[in-house]
Order: sequence, then C-alpha cells, then structure tokens
Amino acid sequence: MGIIPLILWLIQDLLYIIIFPGLVTILVVVVIIIWLERKIAAKVQMRFGPLWVSKKIGGALQSLADLLRYSFQEVIIPEKTDKWAFILAPGLMFAFATIALIFIPVGPYYSVLFPSYYTILFSLALIIITPIFAITVGWASDNKFSFIGALREGFLLISYEIPFLLSVVSMVIIFHTYDYINAVQNQLSFLPGIILNPLAALTMLIVMIRTTGRFPFDITEADSELVMGLFTEYSALFFGVGMATPYVELYNFSLIFSLLFLGGWWPFTLNVMNPVYGLILPGIIVVVKAFIVMAVLVFLRAVYPRYRLDQAVRSGWSYVLLLSILSVILSVVEVMFLR
Amino acid sequence: MSEVRKPRDPLTGHVKALAKGFKYLVEPNRMTLDYPAETMKLPPNYRGFFTVDDKKCIGCSMCEMVCPPEAITMVPRIIGEGGKTIPAPEGEKEVKGPKRTKRPVVNWGKCIFCYFCVDVCPVDAFIPTQVHDLAFEKDSEYRPSYEDYLKPPEEPYKNSKKVISKADLKRGVSYEPAP
Repeated sequence: MGIIPLILWLIQDLLYIIIFPGLVTILVVVVIIIWLERKIAAKVQMRFGPLWVSKKIGGALQSLADLLRYSFQEVIIPEKTDKWAFILAPGLMFAFATIALIFIPVGPYYSVLFPSYYTILFSLALIIITPIFAITVGWASDNKFSFIGALREGFLLISYEIPFLLSVVSMVIIFHTYDYINAVQNQLSFLPGIILNPLAALTMLIVMIRTTGRFPFDITEADSELVMGLFTEYSALFFGVGMATPYVELYNFSLIFSLLFLGGWWPFTLNVMNPVYGLILPGIIVVVKAFIVMAVLVFLRAVYPRYRLDQAVRSGWSYVLLLSILSVILSVVEVMFLR
Repeated sequence: MSEVRKPRDPLTGHVKALAKGFKYLVEPNRMTLDYPAETMKLPPNYRGFFTVDDKKCIGCSMCEMVCPPEAITMVPRIIGEGGKTIPAPEGEKEVKGPKRTKRPVVNWGKCIFCYFCVDVCPVDAFIPTQVHDLAFEKDSEYRPSYEDYLKPPEEPYKNSKKVISKADLKRGVSYEPAP
C-alpha cells in the first residue's frame, strides 16, 4: 500500500471515530433519545413532558439545555471519597462504552487501521468491561446508596452476562463467523437473523434492557429507593457523563442488534468500495434501524414498574438463561438441517 | 398462613401491558393543563390572596385572635386626615390617645387561606381576591410591611386562555373554554 492511500484510510478512520457513527453522532442520538424517552413517557402518562425550552418544536432542546447546565455547575468532590477512583471511574466508563464502537462496523467497507476478523469478540469484550467501572464508582463514593447500587449492579451483571454471551454465540454458530460484516452478508443472501433465531433476539433484547438500566430493570438507579443509585455523590459534568453512559451503551447494543438480527444495511446491497456507498449510505440505514430499536426500548419506561432485585435475579437465572440455552440448541439444529 | 402466589402468565401479561401502552401512545389522553398559557376559571368563592380596606378597618384585633396559624399581626397606627392611617412614631409600642388604632398584616409564609379573618371581621374590611399563583423571590416578601400589604395583588397571567374543567365519561377530565 502506498503512502497516500494509507493517509486517506487514516483520515477516514479518524472521521469514523469522531463524526459518523462516532462521537458527534452519539451526541445527537443521545440528545434526541433522552428527549424522546421523556416525551413518550409523558404521552402515555397523560402529561406534556419537556415543553418550555423551545416550545415550537416540543421542547426538543431540553436535553441540550441540561447538558449546558451540567457543564457549568460546580464540581463537588466529597472529603471521604477515594479521590482517584471517584474522578476516573465515570470517565473510563464512558470511554470504554465509546471505544467499543470502533469494532462495530456500519458498512461493508470500514477499517480502523486494519480489517478484523474478530470484531464481534472485540466489541463484546469492551462492552463487558463497562460494569466494572460502575462497581468502582459505587465503592469509591463512600455513600450507602451508591454502595447498594453497586452491589445490585454486581448481582445483575453476573445473572445476565451468560445469557447475553450465549445469545451472541448462537448467532455466531448460525453465521459461522466472528465478523459483523460477514454476518450481515450472510443475512443479505438468506434471511435476517431475527427470523432465523427469534429466541436469541428476544434474549438479546432482555439483556439490552438490563445492561442499560431501562425499565423494568431500573434497579441500580432506583430513584425512589436509592436517591440516584451509583451517581448519588456526583455533580456537574461527572453526573452528566454518568447519566449519558447507559444511553451510549444502548446505542452500541442497538447497533449490534441491528447488525446481527435486523439484516444490517439490508435494503442496500450495492457492493462498491467507496466512502459514500461503502460507509455513509449503509451506515445511515444501520443507525436508523438502531434508533428504532432504541425508541422501542425507551418506550418500555412508560409501561413497566420496577422489578425487585430478587425477582430480576431469579428471572435471569431461570427464564432468560433457559431462553438463551434454547436459542443455542435452535441454532445448532438449524445449522445441521439447513446447511 | 402465608399463601404462595402463583406466578402470573409471563407472556400474555406483558403483551397486554405493551398493547395498552402503545394505545395510549397513539391516542394520547392528555389531562395536564398547559398552565401559563391556559388557566382555570375559578369558582366564585375561591379563596386567594386578600388585602384590607384601610378606612373600613376599626382595629378590633378579632382577625388576629381567630387566625389559626397566627399569621396575622396587628401593627400600631395613627388615624390621619380623611380616615387614612399613618405609621405610629417609632419606639412606641402602644400609641396613647383617641387617634391610636391598629391594623392587620398577614405573613404569607404562615397563612393557610382559611378565610376565618374575612368571616369574623365585624365591618367586612378585608378585600378578598381570586389571585392564588403568586411567587415570592425573597424571604422578606413573605412578611410585607403594612404599606406593601395594602397594595392589591396582581394576577400574574392576565392574558391566558380561561378554561373550565368538565367531567368526561370517556377521558376522565376535559377542558372547555370558559363562557
């Protein structure tokens, strides 16, 4: 490879991380989805929702106003906290949630420095690291509410990680690859994953709700019991980062869901190595699909109450684990009879 | 004897709940009043902020005695020209002489708007209004001086659309423009 194409690739990779589908897109999507979540819950619960910031467009700028407010608030670090962990943990949590995006391709021709045949494994490994920092936050805060929140996070983490991995493993068995691009190409030539293995899709959805703390698994952040859960002691931008991290995770998970189960860039099958046809057009399709998945998941807030911790852990070890094992068996059966 | 509850049917319950939520999402049944833009037309005997008629009041202190949260205090005044009162000289707690009198002042932080004072007043000196949505920025505004207390309270959203609430069998509550 000559020096000029290499530089072009590097520029494209940088734009991939920073603009699309990286940080800027994340900011836009998160701002919109927080507004949408509050608006949907308000509609179902007979209220107006956010209204007075930019009334003409239904208060859509409310989340941006909140972000501005967080940026200019005073940072308060309590005396008895473990200071380094207290300061670093939310940032690292956000960073790992964002870095996982590098290994989630949104088009048939993407490269972050090198094409990888193990993107599914890498992205899962990075996503699974994030809850460790949540537990660090709870430990460092020196606050009983944060600590109880961290313990609950730990319980739930252990009970829902195995079904999550098993549901992805069952898709890996069907597509016979560890690469998202190959997985999508398999779906384009046959059927989308949600029809091939609906059990795995259902498990994945439940685990997505759990990991990102949406209702009915809003247990670590139960505001009627634990004030603000893990982030009780945080203020200003730290709190904003902590509040945004579950939404970034939700974005990542929704991208993975739309790649593995909804056929990725499905109606768009043109195979041209070009930044526009190889990344932007299919990328927009994938992001729109992910956004629809996110909208469905935030809609659950309007419907469900919160599970108790023991109920959530019990259903994790019973129904969800059973579903994921069944999904693996289904995949094995399909591979034996279809191929 | 504790009864073991059967777990609910896991599938149909979720589907029903989601369907109901989706129905409300598509056909929203909004009950909130869009408050500063539309305000309720209040019933005739609504108890809002009230002030006192300086000329009618005889300074009998019955309002102070009847006030349940002890929000009313009487301040010493002197009757001046035309029946209006002027503040008593400083340092004197009780003004002697035929022109001495007292006037009530309400602490809005304590007042519970029971209107016992309005009812008990022998000369009907209190002037009730329907203004109920005032906000105070400072602590001192809760405890006005007598001169400030005499000013009639201003309604904050005069240009808002007036509506009345109506019981609705289908929706629960609906709002109609006031006649």
